[in-house]
Amino acid sequence: MSHIHLPDGVLPVWLWASGFVVVILIWMILLRVMKKEELTRRLPLLGMMAAVMVLGASVEIVPIAYHVNLTVMSGILLGPSLIFLATFVVNVILALFGHGGITVIGLNTLMFSIEGALGYFLFHLFWRLLRRLSLALFLATFLALTVATFSMIGVVSLGTPHYEELIHQEEGRGMIGFEFGKEKGGHQKEGVPEKEVNLKRFIAIILSLGFIGWVLEGIITALIARYIHRLRPDLLRLEKESR
Amino acid sequence: MIQLSYLDYLAVEGKSFLHRLSPKLKIIGMIFVLFAIVTVRNLPGLFLLYIFLLCLYFIARVPMRIFPLTLYPLIFAVLFIFVSQFQIRFILLVFLKVLCGSTGVVLLLATTPYPSIFSVLGKVLPSTFVMALFLTYRSVFILLTVLEETQHALYLRGGVQWKHPWRSLTNISNAFGHLIIKGIDASEKMYESMVLRGFKGKVHHRRE
Repeated sequence: MSHIHLPDGVLPVWLWASGFVVVILIWMILLRVMKKEELTRRLPLLGMMAAVMVLGASVEIVPIAYHVNLTVMSGILLGPSLIFLATFVVNVILALFGHGGITVIGLNTLMFSIEGALGYFLFHLFWRLLRRLSLALFLATFLALTVATFSMIGVVSLGTPHYEELIHQEEGRGMIGFEFGKEKGGHQKEGVPEKEVNLKRFIAIILSLGFIGWVLEGIITALIARYIHRLRPDLLRLEKESR
Repeated sequence: MIQLSYLDYLAVEGKSFLHRLSPKLKIIGMIFVLFAIVTVRNLPGLFLLYIFLLCLYFIARVPMRIFPLTLYPLIFAVLFIFVSQFQIRFILLVFLKVLCGSTGVVLLLATTPYPSIFSVLGKVLPSTFVMALFLTYRSVFILLTVLEETQHALYLRGGVQWKHPWRSLTNISNAFGHLIIKGIDASEKMYESMVLRGFKGKVHHRRE
């Protein structure tokens, strides 16, 4: 829910193009800042966690159109810089399966990265404050997903003039547009043209479905972390902070 | 995603003209399809594009078993419909854009092996990124095997039952945890074996 499942051609070009520009800039900065040997050494781990996210995204909870992202879990295991690279790879692969458009890969990468990086920082903050693994992870996941969903809503709302344009385009022209264009013409005669884009309804639906998803993902992430902590506590790197 | 291995099999074993076409040309074709999706805003134009892609789908003899993959993104497109006042024209426009995009992509994947797509991308994208794509692709297959084994074990022991949602959720989460641990172990082994074979941060592709 926290990323854009929009098809290609729905968002305005300037919006998705700026998504790509920002992602490329961040990539360039990260590749310069990170040590090459370190990056090469961790590439297989990055690939594996990206694969886990891809598999998580393929398990669909159809009634609410939700799937687990596992971005927060991956963010904790990979760290805030590698999660950015991983989410880009995940979005490319998901787009190749029609899971979100190809043109929105840049924007989706930003949403996913917000989720992963914020989840990482929030988890470490809550762990220091609460010292309870499950609770810290649940809260971190819930909040990270909430913020990512709101940023997704923000991005979608930036395209409002473009959606209006898409709705009104070809009114009264074309085979199908003609029939419905006539109906709309009736409304517009009365004066001020009616606003056709209803973002409030979209936001209400996304937030209500999203809430179920945030809780579900929060619980699943907390349970996964509990399992990992039981078997391989070293992966979560909590010892340093415990001292 | 379980279809991934089947798609890969189709791409490698297929014998149609689209399978034989160079991956570079197919990627250029996909870029044209994307360009059309972004720029075309009338229903007849998009409808024609969809029909053209469907014709290619059948000419390339891609099995119908894969066809539902092209419809899958419609689940998410339905959410976006709520932005509008349910104008039929807008709904059809969004649905056709979704269908054109997903059909084009499935067609590309079912007729071109992933490594060929990545090697074409490697000519324009940084090697680190292409390397990460390759490793993710490889890892998906490794994890799919682990996932299938874990799924069998879960079902055989009655691990997922709607009557016991909390227990089922715990078991599913444990399965994901198991998948992650196995995946991390496998990634360490993979790195060691790559270094043994002389890996220095780049994978070289054989030209075919």
